[in-house]
Amino acid sequence: MNSRTLFRRIRKSSFFLIGIITVLIIVTLAIISPMIVAHDAYIGDLELRLKEPEGFAGGWEGYILGCDPLGRDVLTRVLIGSRASMLIALTVVGITLVTGTILGLISGYYGGLVDMCLMRLCDILMATPGLLLAVCVVAVLGSNFVNLIIVLSITGWVRYARLVRGNVLAIRNSEYIQASRVLGAGNAHIILTQVLPNITTPLIIQASQQFGNVILIEAGMSFLGVGVPISTPSWGGMISAGREYIATAPWVVIAPGVALMITVLAFNFLGDGLRDVLDPKNKN
Amino acid sequence: MLQKIIRRALATVVVLIGVSIIAFLLVRLAPGDPAKLMLPDTATEETIQAMREKMGTDKPLFIQYLTYMKNVLKGDLGTSYHYNRSCSQLIFSRLPSTAKLAGFGMLLSLCFSIPLGMIAGIKKGSFIDTLSMFFAMIGQSMSHVWLGLMLILIFAVNLKWLPSMGTGTFKHMIMPAIVIGFQFSALATRMVRSGMIDVLQEDYITATRAKGISKFKVYTKYAFKNALLPVVTVVGSQVGAMMSGSMVIETVFSWPGIGSLTTQAIYNRDYQLIQSILLISATIFVVCNLLVDILYTFIDPRISFN
Repeated sequence: MNSRTLFRRIRKSSFFLIGIITVLIIVTLAIISPMIVAHDAYIGDLELRLKEPEGFAGGWEGYILGCDPLGRDVLTRVLIGSRASMLIALTVVGITLVTGTILGLISGYYGGLVDMCLMRLCDILMATPGLLLAVCVVAVLGSNFVNLIIVLSITGWVRYARLVRGNVLAIRNSEYIQASRVLGAGNAHIILTQVLPNITTPLIIQASQQFGNVILIEAGMSFLGVGVPISTPSWGGMISAGREYIATAPWVVIAPGVALMITVLAFNFLGDGLRDVLDPKNKN
Repeated sequence: MLQKIIRRALATVVVLIGVSIIAFLLVRLAPGDPAKLMLPDTATEETIQAMREKMGTDKPLFIQYLTYMKNVLKGDLGTSYHYNRSCSQLIFSRLPSTAKLAGFGMLLSLCFSIPLGMIAGIKKGSFIDTLSMFFAMIGQSMSHVWLGLMLILIFAVNLKWLPSMGTGTFKHMIMPAIVIGFQFSALATRMVRSGMIDVLQEDYITATRAKGISKFKVYTKYAFKNALLPVVTVVGSQVGAMMSGSMVIETVFSWPGIGSLTTQAIYNRDYQLIQSILLISATIFVVCNLLVDILYTFIDPRISFN
């Protein structure tokens, strides 16, 4: 695919454009949030307890989205809270993408006993409802960032491994791979230079969709009290803390929920958009 | 056919053994001595040792697993130390409540997503189509907790139409069922839509139209059945998603099912109960998937287990 085709497809895919622009804005905000927030995300002023949103009446220094039960500015916490979600999602997607791809390559390329064992392991991990397993493991091991990332990674690599394995099986015996082998290429060379480049597209799409998923699972776990530690601002934790005040101070819950939805939506749009743009079967 | 079903069932058994190993190891991973957890802090070393022997935790891990499995197969999942009741009793007393919620949620979402997906597929590119795709996107991106709280805010706090939590009447079930079925309706709308688009391009649909059969009849009688097929495949996987979702949803709406039992077990650090819930949930999930696979080969003879 040349760059002109790519550009034409990007221009035509509104999903991709909306997705990539929103994702870039969100990621930028998450990175620069400590520099731009007007208030302290951790220590509140109890006199401002459950203060109603005042919009832009007080400017950037005001309480645009109101205050939470501890008198902390909601907008500040939403902005700072994005960092926890982003950090966890990025780490988990990174770890699972790499391990899943390696295991999938091994499984698909070599086949045999290794393949069988790995695929049965996938079956077993797929057989336990994702959030349930994650919650149970963290409940037993204790909840902190590291355990959270480990647990989400343990269940997350399976999809990549299956995806990669399926694609490897489909191209393993194709002519160009056989040609490489005849020319004396080793397994590692074939995997890295022939097989891997051919499966990057489905991997990128999968990664983008998993990103949104991890954020949702993390929020669910934080709500149940087994996710991000309460001391760290996180969207799930904020929703959980504001739950009791839903009737009197709904803004405490609405703001992090909207942020969560827009973020996940953006990554899902990006995933769908990437499919339109990169999928070679999708010729115009 | 029968041979294939048996082979598929055997694979399920292997998966279940794997799940039981995970569930078993989970409790062994817990920090601290399980015998000490069962006893008060003042217990002497001898009492703790006696408890270890009684619980069998002084034996090698493999022997412990075999004992555990022997008991599980007899239907004994151990005792919840918080409730001081058998885990299986606790779980099965809560199960119908969750099943009712999930069943109603699935029904609601099918009633909504099938017509929507069909219209979107028939009128591809129209306003309704765009709307349905947007709905499908939102459905995948919304957190259960937040959707539940927003429904409470609108229908319980502001409009006062529905009770915000608890159980008893049909009204109590509406909001949690909508939340539990939301993701599925998004997925199902998407699948019915794409199924409909594919089916409408088939020659036999053109043929029925050429014979002069009305559009409405073609859509409802011929295209619909085939467009619905892919939805059946995801019903099985949705059982797992609903189990995961039920934890959060039942906590939000104080619904007395398996999900809220899990949450309580986590708060109470009731490891035995957590282990049992994991095992039972996975078993139900795996068996549902098996049944769906078997059912599917009957509905669609073109599909085989391979």
